[in-house]
Amino acid sequence: MKVLLLGMSHRSAPVEVREHYAVEGDAFQEALRKLVGHPEIGEAVLISTCNRVEIVVTSQNPSEARLRLENVFRSELGGNAPVPGGGDLEDHLYFHADQNAVSHVFRVASSLDSMVVGEPQILGQMKDAYRASVEAGSCGPILSRLFQRAFATAKRVKNETRVAQRPVSVARVAVELARQIFEELGDKKALMIGAGEMIEAALFALHREGLHSLRVANRTRARAEDLAQRFEASAHGLEDIDGLLKDSDIVLTCIGGSGYVLDVEAVERATRARRNNRPIFLIDIGVPRNVDPAVDNLDSAFLYDIDDLQEIAFANEEERRRESQGAEKIVLEEQERLEGWMVALRAVPTIRHLRARAEAVRQAELERSLTKMDLTDTQLERVEALTRSIVNKLLHRPLARLGAQTDREEGLVILEEARALFGLDDTDAPGSEVDSQLASEDSTEGEGGPSTGPRSGESK
Amino acid sequence: MTGFQQAAAAIYLAAGIAALLGLVLPSPRLTRGAVWALGLGAGVQGAAFATLHELQPVPQLTDLPYAISFMAWIAVISLLILMWRLRLAELTAAVGPLAFLAAFMPSLGILAGSEGSGLPVGGTVPHAHVLLSSAGLGLLGISGLAGIFYLLEHRRLKRKRLGGGGVRLPSLEALDRVNVSALVVGFPLLSLGLITGSAWLYGASGQLWIWSPHAIWTLVGWGIYAGMSLARFAGRQGARQAAAAAVGGFAFLLFAVIGVEVLR
Repeated sequence: MKVLLLGMSHRSAPVEVREHYAVEGDAFQEALRKLVGHPEIGEAVLISTCNRVEIVVTSQNPSEARLRLENVFRSELGGNAPVPGGGDLEDHLYFHADQNAVSHVFRVASSLDSMVVGEPQILGQMKDAYRASVEAGSCGPILSRLFQRAFATAKRVKNETRVAQRPVSVARVAVELARQIFEELGDKKALMIGAGEMIEAALFALHREGLHSLRVANRTRARAEDLAQRFEASAHGLEDIDGLLKDSDIVLTCIGGSGYVLDVEAVERATRARRNNRPIFLIDIGVPRNVDPAVDNLDSAFLYDIDDLQEIAFANEEERRRESQGAEKIVLEEQERLEGWMVALRAVPTIRHLRARAEAVRQAELERSLTKMDLTDTQLERVEALTRSIVNKLLHRPLARLGAQTDREEGLVILEEARALFGLDDTDAPGSEVDSQLASEDSTEGEGGPSTGPRSGESK
Repeated sequence: MTGFQQAAAAIYLAAGIAALLGLVLPSPRLTRGAVWALGLGAGVQGAAFATLHELQPVPQLTDLPYAISFMAWIAVISLLILMWRLRLAELTAAVGPLAFLAAFMPSLGILAGSEGSGLPVGGTVPHAHVLLSSAGLGLLGISGLAGIFYLLEHRRLKRKRLGGGGVRLPSLEALDRVNVSALVVGFPLLSLGLITGSAWLYGASGQLWIWSPHAIWTLVGWGIYAGMSLARFAGRQGARQAAAAAVGGFAFLLFAVIGVEVLR
């Protein structure tokens, strides 16, 4: 049984293509149910976010499964419509099998494959995707294990590296800087000058940090009122700025027009009016700038313009990239761990096969010998017990060794050797008459279970 | 020197190293561990003071090394109390090694037998002077340390080189609150220490004041703090000036207590 992944992400497809194949709501569950209805697909998990659409499946027939998944993308997810912007669907898809698929899932969960490395949303989205597939009944033991290990890997990456520690958006950098100046943001007052998108993003970030005393001042008061209403802020005109500045701890400006909205005199007046020249943090993200750069010379004023913030954001992004190298090591460790489990899983059919063959040989030999002997019931029982004990003792060590394999490469080699040594693939070997019976038993157990047929252990 | 003092010194050093590593790596877990170690060190040092009378001969707190060790103990406890409300764990990186030096001082023999003024020791007034002054100095030491960190962080914020994996210090507001809180308690204790010192001198020589280097430097240090308190509570002094004054004031006091003895 192999793990396969077919998908598209921000690395392989533009947003108009991704949104065309994205799936949500009832269609999500329906797509999963249809997926596992195909005979070449064992288990399935579908991940659909704004940055990626991926299908992870298990299959015993990778080439057919791949074609099936491409078809699912084309028909089920894309509605057989042409690819937006032209071109072939295959140009936007990537396919991973086995360790590569496992590694990819681990990297995605750990936010190493995200557009912004270290962003926290992807883990929640993957957990939702996993839950949805469990509810749809499309997730079996292998993908369950895979996703549980992926979540554990993401947790390790978060705790053991600094991949997600430093903010990389301008709004988050501003909040982070405010935290380096002020101990608590909850009791601080913020003044927003302007009412554009950047101000809105900053309002959102500050509101989320628990800062509730928010004021919005704008040339067009109606626009300020509209924005203020959404964030429980008060609305003001630009003429109120001088008064508001005196008790504002954080000032964010992003407003059009020529000339400075805040000059040195205005800020100095405001800081003097504050007890012990309490510090004031000014963030000027307007272009052209809204605050006179000389304000930064004031002792209690900390002025950051858009370039300062972006420089910090870039440095943080660089730091995240550096840290992602450490995270890749964790991904590799966890990947090897999961592969060990999968090899052990592959050993199960071989162990069953070997036991069944040995038992068949024992019974055949016993029957052949018993016809020449005249034994009482007690003697018969003793001979039965003796032969069973001999078989068990002979098989004990090889079976224990097969069951304990955790290293992928060595595990697969040992499995191969065991099959060759005991002639498990020879159809004329003693005891081979049980093979057909075993195969039929396995097929009735279903494809999603851990027992996947006597020959599945050899597939690489 | 008791085993407790040595153990406390070792724990303080470990706390300082852990906090330093936590700051540089950076590792919040290591920093938190350093704070717990600092608390453990304070507990062990407290046990050292509680069992001081069991030593033969019984050491006097009026001995300078013991007074300095007591000062460090008060400083550590004050910082731990402030840490309940403010994010100051990073200060452990500086407090740990300093507390180690102070706690280890009695066993080094440096300044052993120093009595500061050369006045007769023993009795309530000399002990009250040493305990009050040491407690005041301990708190003002924390104020000075917070001042140094404030100036560093202020400079970092003004230079705007904050991105990437740099060291992260406590917020300016937290450091300023430490400065104010330590001043509010430390300055009155220091003043009481000066008054009891004067009483000690009066009891020994009949004079309330002598122009010794120790007394002059202490008075200058006290004057800085008096001016700083006035400006601060009148609401006219900025946090950066207060931080600089706290550093300067403590440097004067430290010189008055240790520097004068070393140069003597």
